[in-house]
Amino acid sequence: MNYGNIKAVKVLLVDSDDDDALIIEKQIEKIPENPFIFEWCSSFDRAKRLIADRRHDIYLIDYRLGEKTGLDLLRSVRPAKRAEPFILLSGAADREIEWQSMKLAAADYLVKGSFTPEMLARTLYYALQRKEIERQRIQQYIDLNQSKDDFISIASHQLRTPATAVKQYVGMLLEGFAGELQPNQIDMLQKAYRSNERQLKIVTDLLKVAQVDAGKVVFQKSHVNLNDMIYEAVYDMRDVFIKREQQVEFDPAEPIPVAFVDYDSIRMVLDNLIDNASKYSNANRVVTISTDESKNDISIHITDQGVGISQSERRRLFEKFSRINNPLSTTVGGTGLGLYWAKKIVDLHDGTISVESKKGRGTTFTVMLPKHP
Amino acid sequence: MTKPASILIVEDDADLNGAYQLIIGSAGYTVLSADDGKQALDIIKKKGDPDIILLDLRMPVMDGIEFLKRYDAPAHPDTTIVVFSNYDAQKEVDEAYKLGAHRYVLKARAAPKELLRIVEDVLEG
Repeated sequence: MNYGNIKAVKVLLVDSDDDDALIIEKQIEKIPENPFIFEWCSSFDRAKRLIADRRHDIYLIDYRLGEKTGLDLLRSVRPAKRAEPFILLSGAADREIEWQSMKLAAADYLVKGSFTPEMLARTLYYALQRKEIERQRIQQYIDLNQSKDDFISIASHQLRTPATAVKQYVGMLLEGFAGELQPNQIDMLQKAYRSNERQLKIVTDLLKVAQVDAGKVVFQKSHVNLNDMIYEAVYDMRDVFIKREQQVEFDPAEPIPVAFVDYDSIRMVLDNLIDNASKYSNANRVVTISTDESKNDISIHITDQGVGISQSERRRLFEKFSRINNPLSTTVGGTGLGLYWAKKIVDLHDGTISVESKKGRGTTFTVMLPKHP
Repeated sequence: MTKPASILIVEDDADLNGAYQLIIGSAGYTVLSADDGKQALDIIKKKGDPDIILLDLRMPVMDGIEFLKRYDAPAHPDTTIVVFSNYDAQKEVDEAYKLGAHRYVLKARAAPKELLRIVEDVLEG
């Protein structure tokens, strides 16, 4: 049988029995047009190190390895995550071992003494070929995902510039650059302006998510005074609270809570949570922001008296494009990307974001951030 | 009478550039406009340093970062450079700051009045 132009293939046999190892080496030597470079290792620990080095193309692992077994070795090297095939050998046919090796993603299971050099060659070639097909398929997914990320990024960039121009021109009309307007004209333009704001927010959210999904977020972490950050966030949103006739309560903590974070991205997470707290609350309600700290972390709590989130909705709250159905969600708009992005950013800071809520009573989001690098 | 402050707008999108010209011009400032960094350098060479440069970062021919490198902002202390930024461009803004930019405006955020406020703010020092 001709298996085509196969380049040199490095085989590592892990077997604690010298005689068995010699037999397998001889069988491999007898393979016609032999491309195999044989190496043998008898100890479990040394095999683990060699496998971690990834210098071989295929592994033959014997079931008996001193006090441990080949299944233990498979368990520790995790064949499912590897680009090379692992084949388990055993002295006698054993259904249970075979079943276990299959579950651990071994490429094959062979019983010693039951195969000819030709059969061994076929097993090795097929295992290698299956891994190669798997590699190509994974590469296809990676390429596809990359082109999806590129598409979102390019489309969003292209959408953003014209949307920004609309904002400027409608803004100019509203601000009287082209003379005084009638009340009904102002009303229409305000609606156009609000739609445009929403459009820009969607584009921005899409880009932010594409960036975080592609792992292209760059942090500049430093020790940040969270009292100041919360104060600035609330101050910048004062108009929103006034418009919605809501109150914000924030008492700066003593001693000053200082977290080791990237100011810009954590500030955006905070803005997002405070804005949500306000959006999903009716008029005359209070949004309360507080912090507390433990030895290594600082927690920021954002509590509202809003519509609340049911348990089933809480479960998918941080998923991409998740939107919650509540009496206010149709009027406030949203992309379902804000909390997904926020969680990703907090995760990348080795922090956590969590939520407690009572339907109809209100919600508390807690962001826990590390104090030290 | 003192000469009105001059503001150079560097933005490749024609509609957006036109909007900025209208907004800035409405307040009585002298407006100069360029489609990219290279044009901006040519205008500065001919007309001298403006008081403010409103600089987009992503542009064809010569982008904002390359412009900042060539312009050598620290050698022109009387000119304030305000870069237009986006939420996803923090890295570019940081680089612009290193190259001598003084402030940034979030493009999708700044309404006409806010843009004028920033310009007034800069001119008042």
